Amino acid sequence: MKRYMLSMKARRIRDGYLFVLPWIIGCIFFFAGPILLSIRLSFSKLIKVTGFQMEWLGLDNYMRAFVYDVTFIPMFLEVVKNMFVNTPLIVIFSLFIAMLLNRDIKLRGLFRVVFFLPVLLGAGYVMQQLIGYGVDKESIEVAKGMLLPREMLLYFGPRVSGFIQLFLDRFTIILWKSGVQILLFLSGLQGIPPALYEAARCDSATEWEMFWKITLPMISPVILLNIVYTIIDSFTDFANPIIDFIYQTAFQRTEFEYAAAVGWIYFIFILIILGMTFGLMKRYIYRTGK
Amino acid sequence: MTKIAAKKVRRRLRFRFSFKWFLVYVFMLSLVAFTALPIVYMVSTAFKPIDELFIYPPQFFVRRPTLINFSNLLFALNSSEVPFVRYIFNSVLTASVTVGLTVIVSAMGAFSLVKYKPPGSNIIFMIILGALMFSPHVTQIPTYMVVNSLGIINTYLALIIPKVAVAYNFFLMKQFTEQLPDVLLEAARIDGAGEWYIFWKIVMPSLRPAWATLIVFSFVANWNDYFSPLIFTTSQTMKTLPLALQTIAGGLSIARAGAVGAATLLMTMPTIIIFTIMQAKVMETMVHSGIKA
Repeated sequence: MKRYMLSMKARRIRDGYLFVLPWIIGCIFFFAGPILLSIRLSFSKLIKVTGFQMEWLGLDNYMRAFVYDVTFIPMFLEVVKNMFVNTPLIVIFSLFIAMLLNRDIKLRGLFRVVFFLPVLLGAGYVMQQLIGYGVDKESIEVAKGMLLPREMLLYFGPRVSGFIQLFLDRFTIILWKSGVQILLFLSGLQGIPPALYEAARCDSATEWEMFWKITLPMISPVILLNIVYTIIDSFTDFANPIIDFIYQTAFQRTEFEYAAAVGWIYFIFILIILGMTFGLMKRYIYRTGK
Repeated sequence: MTKIAAKKVRRRLRFRFSFKWFLVYVFMLSLVAFTALPIVYMVSTAFKPIDELFIYPPQFFVRRPTLINFSNLLFALNSSEVPFVRYIFNSVLTASVTVGLTVIVSAMGAFSLVKYKPPGSNIIFMIILGALMFSPHVTQIPTYMVVNSLGIINTYLALIIPKVAVAYNFFLMKQFTEQLPDVLLEAARIDGAGEWYIFWKIVMPSLRPAWATLIVFSFVANWNDYFSPLIFTTSQTMKTLPLALQTIAGGLSIARAGAVGAATLLMTMPTIIIFTIMQAKVMETMVHSGIKA
């Protein structure tokens, strides 16, 4: 009887597939499958949830978002505006903090942990809880009372105090959202060879010049990464009204099809923004080893 | 003469230097205070007795701390609905099983794709990179349909299985596995070790920083996950802590603020504990080799 033997190579391929199999199964069932289903869903009308019974409807769901629904477009514009304002602020702020942390500052460990803490809490519902039930707002109120006495606000008048309030509100959002970006920038800053700075110092370059001519070009890939991360992060954020809208439409008004269509509109918008970011940043990215 | 002048200059320089640093510290500490403020406020709310909760404007620090909110939460709420301990049990069970499974599945997959490179591994990499960009909310509805058709709605399985094959976890493990030297595996093979044995005795121990990081991230994400228990479970006994928190907070009354504070504190404790245990490793891996462009 001839014994069937697998060659060394075939055996390794078999073992490789066996190791990756659980992940592939999970991916097909809970990622790839749902993605395809959701595309189909956005073009159809759902008849029965259990058997995936759908009826082809064409672009009706998409039309509804742009033409019939009065709430969607203003909300969408608001989200876009917030994204355009917050993303540069978060990136610049986290670069600033990372550069401070990259020096031999005392209590570095403490600073790192505290700036990362919001990521731990903010990853989920607790953050929403803190904001939603006014804990955050109240604490800001109290902080304002401590930082700026009420009389001072009165003295400046409503316009200035309103401005300060706006600034503080946005500032908290930025602070709470730049944990991961700070860490990424730190890793990028530590990858810059110190010899470059030494050479620049020998040529009597100032700190300011060194920042623009060495630090910025060297971490440009990380800047791109951070912009992308911030955009995606804002996309998946809890406080994002569109995400909330999708959830409400799908699970409280049970209009799954419309929710799927809105989800795809938003996703395609994000893809376009990301593509534009890559296109714009490409020529400013400095690559080493070329 | 010149010496004295030079000394003077140097002293002035040093003074200015330290003054600059003083400003930097003041700035950094105020940022820290600002970041930590909501957390401090939440902790102090959890210990406030009922009369202090009603003070307006709200006081930042608690004056007479009590544990009444915690005992209310754990015992008084028992009589009405599902005991609070049940939510804790649900959360601990689903979060820890999910984290364990996702670490093993991601590590196995990454090991295979990086070290065996079976045909088609490039396609899988592409899918993973694409999946990194996807918001889970877009696929939430179809996932619900899939879970529904599998017939596991309202079981612990529904809270665990969909969250095992997560692209981000795979990506993280892949980045680390690539740094593992092939020589190590070859040496083990020559000594007659099987692939399964190599995975458990060589790959996993050397990737300890990687899965320490993964445990933290995955645990935080699953522990705080609000959507899947909301969607995949229907009965109150299957809900997890984030949902219980909402039930308790329901009605928005100030009297409940103490209970909410206590519940939030109980909820954030495990993530903070896990993070502080793993902190040194996570920071190290993030800063050195983690997700670098």
